[in-house]
Amino acid sequence: MVDPIITASIVYASLFGLMAIGLTLTYITTKVPNFAYGSFVTVGMYTAFSLFRLQGFSPYSSVPIAFIVGSLGSAAMYLGILRTLARRGSSLVALMIATLAIDIAFVGIFGIFSDYLYARYRIIDAPKFVQLPGDYSLFGIQGIVFTAPISLCTITLALFGLLTKTKFGIAMRASVENPSLARVLGINVENVYIFAWSLAGGFAAMSGAYYTLWLPGGIDVGSKLIVEIFASSVLGGLASIYGAALGGVIIGAGEILITTAGANLFGSSVGIYQKGIPLIIMIITLLLFPQGLVSLDLRRAFRKFRNLRSLGWRKSLHLS
Amino acid sequence: MAEVASSELKGMDVPSLVLFGTDIVTFSVDLAIAYSILLAVSLTLNLEAGYSGVPNFGKAMFVAGGAAVAGSISGRLSGFILGVDTSNYVNRAPLIINNLNSLLAANLFLSIEMLLLGLALAAGVGAVLGFLASYPAIRLREDYLGMLLLASAQFFQILLRGYPPLIGGVIGIEVPDFFGWANTGRGARDVVILGVVGLFTVLVYLYFERVARSPLGRTLRAVRDNEVASRALGKDDVAIRKRVIVIASAICGMAGALLTFYVQSVGPDTWSRQSWTFPFWVIIIIGGAANNSGVALGAFTYAFILKAVDKAKFLFQGFLPFDVNWLEYLAFSSLLLLVLALRPGGILPEKSSLTLQRETVATIIQTKADNRAQKGDDSSTNADDS
Repeated sequence: MVDPIITASIVYASLFGLMAIGLTLTYITTKVPNFAYGSFVTVGMYTAFSLFRLQGFSPYSSVPIAFIVGSLGSAAMYLGILRTLARRGSSLVALMIATLAIDIAFVGIFGIFSDYLYARYRIIDAPKFVQLPGDYSLFGIQGIVFTAPISLCTITLALFGLLTKTKFGIAMRASVENPSLARVLGINVENVYIFAWSLAGGFAAMSGAYYTLWLPGGIDVGSKLIVEIFASSVLGGLASIYGAALGGVIIGAGEILITTAGANLFGSSVGIYQKGIPLIIMIITLLLFPQGLVSLDLRRAFRKFRNLRSLGWRKSLHLS
Repeated sequence: MAEVASSELKGMDVPSLVLFGTDIVTFSVDLAIAYSILLAVSLTLNLEAGYSGVPNFGKAMFVAGGAAVAGSISGRLSGFILGVDTSNYVNRAPLIINNLNSLLAANLFLSIEMLLLGLALAAGVGAVLGFLASYPAIRLREDYLGMLLLASAQFFQILLRGYPPLIGGVIGIEVPDFFGWANTGRGARDVVILGVVGLFTVLVYLYFERVARSPLGRTLRAVRDNEVASRALGKDDVAIRKRVIVIASAICGMAGALLTFYVQSVGPDTWSRQSWTFPFWVIIIIGGAANNSGVALGAFTYAFILKAVDKAKFLFQGFLPFDVNWLEYLAFSSLLLLVLALRPGGILPEKSSLTLQRETVATIIQTKADNRAQKGDDSSTNADDS
């Protein structure tokens, strides 16, 4: 048996990496922090939950369906609300409030959906359910511990391939870097944005479906995850999807490992501060290096360090 | 009042006990108290977001801070003063509060003192939280700040839930009744509370209206609309924003304390962003940001719609396969989005800075000219007057 702390860190790290990639995709296209993003995770949770309860689908087989539902929802949110408001000249704050309103509306929608599941199918635990069974097991370890990191790696690599090797990917980067110039070159920036938003919603819902295999889900679980998701994206710099993946991994693993270390040192009462760790990392990032991990030029820092050392070395030589 | 306390998850459920056919006075008093507290907090958000351009997406934290500290400390302190044994306070709270309430009801002056002390403490905690929040607020862009405050408010709620000594963890804690002396039957207590809360809100309104019409109010708008230009004119935007956040947060804390003293309990689940951040944004967007009378109207609209949904939901309950409360979320979200799309300025949009009427200006100029003419006569006689 592997230490449960290691497996928990792996799952958290992979899932937050996935979620952060999606959030960053929405941020780099529209430059609006998407407060409703957590609710798309809940969309995935409820897709997996209802398909499992009604059809007996394993959460793994619901992942593609969740992806499609999330994509459609996210694209609809962009087209129907954010783009409409932006075209009417709404300010950044107004757009942020709009995403907050959508988040609140989602809470209502999930509430209605779970009440409906009860009224129609007598599913009592719809508002708050424990993790779903149906995961496979490998070497005595739950399957999600392998599936989640493999998905994260595959998606990161696929995005890397898409963005660097394909024409559409390069068009995507151009639309993000400089929309006006991309338009001049004949790129349909709107389509690119819609594509990015549907990918984002898909990733969120996908990680939501995975999430149900590991932890309990419920109406407001997704919108409460927003702290970790924001922290991951901010740590990654909010501008790079690879940075976001890395940020998610650090936040997810850090949350578990630091809490465990703290619990070993000071007793189990530190568990309540677990959600404070991503927040603190986010604050430190924002105050010290607001451009995120990707802005840290390790090579230059190393060179500086070496120069300093060699300078000191020479100085000491001259002195002696 | 116990069921009020447990059902105020939505913050505004206070008057929901009242059904058709019950005492209309009780209903109006309850509604007015809820409206006053809503309005006070909305006005602070209006000062921050409307006038100064600080998007506070963590309003719940500042109200919760005041409410938690007032609820947590006032009981212990009055127990200490009145000589009631307060050991193991959280677990024995119902018993202690029972003792305290009978003692406090007989002691008008101590009750008022504790009430004022609770308010002062809450204001202090609000100010401290605001000061902490202002550190990033003046350095970060709007979007980063929004994320940070939203996340902080959520963490604050988790902290309240996870740290029992403060307000009893998940289950919450009871708070002594500082209005027990007014409890002479027929809802006298509520009327007294309405007086206190109403006075508080009126003072807050007058203060903010005064700020808005003062040179400071115009400076705030200048800083909001063009930071660089206002800096060039010598306005210290950093200091101004800091002060705005601290003052607004202190008032939020006091509003939270008043709510706690009214419902006589405080728990962690109340302070979600659905109940204590979002409604205030709805209010200032509907009513009109950077316009205090607009916010007053927005708060009324919000409270009115809430009550209408509250009343109407019993008519639908039988027909719909879900709890009608969920529709509230959908209704307010859609309303907010509609207002943003169709009338971005709200019902009463921001007015340009108040200037004097043409006739008044003409009179002033005339008077000045007269004075000068008079002075000219004087100076001709008095050569020293330059």
